[in-house]
Amino acid sequence: MFQHTALRYTALILLAVGAFTQAVTAGYFGLEILTEILLLAMLVLALDMVAGFGGMVSLCHGALMGVGAYAYAILTTKAGIAPPVALGGAIAITGAAAWVIGAIGARSHGIYFIMATLAFGQMAYSYVFEAPFFGGDDGMGGIPRIDLSLLGIDLNDSRSFALFCLVLLGATYGAAVLILRSGLGRSLTGVMHNEQRMRALGLTVWRVKADVFGLSGMIAGFAGALSAQHVMYISPGLLGWTVSGEALVVVILGGLGTLVGPMIGAAAFVILKHEVSNVTSYWHLVVGVLLIAVVMSRANGIFGWIEARWGARLERRLSDLTRKTDAEEITTDA
Amino acid sequence: MLETRNLDKSFGAVHVTRNVSLKLERGERRVILGPNGAGKTTLFNLLVGELTPNSGSVLLAGEDVTALPVAKRARRGLSRSYQKNTLFDGLTVEENLGLAAAIHTGAGTRLWGDSLATPEVREIVAEVAEQVRLMPYLHAKVSEVSYGVRRQFEVGVALATRPLVLLMDEPTSGVGPEMAKGFHDLLNDLPRDLTLLIIEHDMDLAFDVADTITVLNYGEVVFDGLPEEARGSTLLKEIYLGSWEDA
Repeated sequence: MFQHTALRYTALILLAVGAFTQAVTAGYFGLEILTEILLLAMLVLALDMVAGFGGMVSLCHGALMGVGAYAYAILTTKAGIAPPVALGGAIAITGAAAWVIGAIGARSHGIYFIMATLAFGQMAYSYVFEAPFFGGDDGMGGIPRIDLSLLGIDLNDSRSFALFCLVLLGATYGAAVLILRSGLGRSLTGVMHNEQRMRALGLTVWRVKADVFGLSGMIAGFAGALSAQHVMYISPGLLGWTVSGEALVVVILGGLGTLVGPMIGAAAFVILKHEVSNVTSYWHLVVGVLLIAVVMSRANGIFGWIEARWGARLERRLSDLTRKTDAEEITTDA
Repeated sequence: MLETRNLDKSFGAVHVTRNVSLKLERGERRVILGPNGAGKTTLFNLLVGELTPNSGSVLLAGEDVTALPVAKRARRGLSRSYQKNTLFDGLTVEENLGLAAAIHTGAGTRLWGDSLATPEVREIVAEVAEQVRLMPYLHAKVSEVSYGVRRQFEVGVALATRPLVLLMDEPTSGVGPEMAKGFHDLLNDLPRDLTLLIIEHDMDLAFDVADTITVLNYGEVVFDGLPEEARGSTLLKEIYLGSWEDA
């Protein structure tokens, strides 16, 4: 079950401070990279919820992100709906699509679940690619950003948009924690540990899986709608399986089932991609080698390695500190 | 409370449950005996819905539940523990019991609020922990407690759903004689209105706990009666109790 530890709080604070500093000090290119990291972090949070806490390794989360992006684009540019309403609509549509995928896939496990989600994702990709309504291969442009001018915020400014995404990522993280700590989230963890036993205790397993998959889809759709606003243009490539594959790589790289880890993974992945691609176009090779090293090290990703190395030490220090403070208070009282 | 009518199950040419009819009254404690391969666990699987019978029916509190899936039968009050521990190893004893209790109260599917923090769940967890003598281990992880404690715990998780009928598949399997004696007390201390159906190889426990005894052999009921009748049955001595009597 999800638990916050001193190390996780520390990592969260460091991530938030790092992202905020970057958002207020970076130039245009730095802000674009930061926004890319924040949106990828949102997507991998959604994936970690189902893969790390429910054992549902999905290869359609990229497609769900794409559904969110396309739904937002169509609702704003074709239906003329106001962006905030369209954002809510896009989240709801993606959540519903994910719930259906979760409900159908809930009865399969392991590689079969992965293949089922891959098939759903590729079906969505092919449909969008072929359908003229979605702009086909050309994609769709002219997607508006949300207007917050009433609050004195111009989201067309890269810095404001990056800060906006940072706040929303924080809110999404909070929502993911609340979901995982709720009865539904705890039951999902029980299902991952022993599905047969949870069923024998009276739990409708498929429903729990579908519900959390739907909620995870809503977060992916949210990331997609923000991504569409970020680039102001979308193409079918957003729904391709490589996006889902990259998200899975990031989750494993960061630390499956930790929530914090995948966000670190997102930062590491995007920075690595940009830095290495400055030197060579074979950046995938470098990421591949790093992923193999992480998997071979048997640590649970970058954050899993950090937790194994420093987590216990930090908890011990904090507990010593608490004991010391308590002893001092007792002495003072005496 | 629990009834089977002409329950029959085959796996290909192997006939594992033959025309089994049982009737358990409310609060009855029945022990099922039988040699290995007699079809005892298969009968449990048929009762809870993990297997579908070829023919026959299962009735719970007078309602035919044969067509109901496992989870729905459990929600109607049919709970089971397993021969092998099926606990959630990474979680604490409290969390394990809480997961089961939350399913019973409905908190296990709620999106808002920590299910383990609800008063109903906490009450059930405390009550069950007391019943199965788990209070000292409440905050320990399952992987940190002994095998014998895990066997008690396995029963506790099933009890946390507040069942009408509790099926226990060899609850003392693999535990030492002293721990097994503790199990006798534990079972005898359970509420008298709870119906128990127990598969057991430990004869002392069987005769100590049972109101009635059913013996299966090759999937068929060959004896159904009181413990004292079972002790005197020649048929039972031949198929099962011989080794116990000689011992």
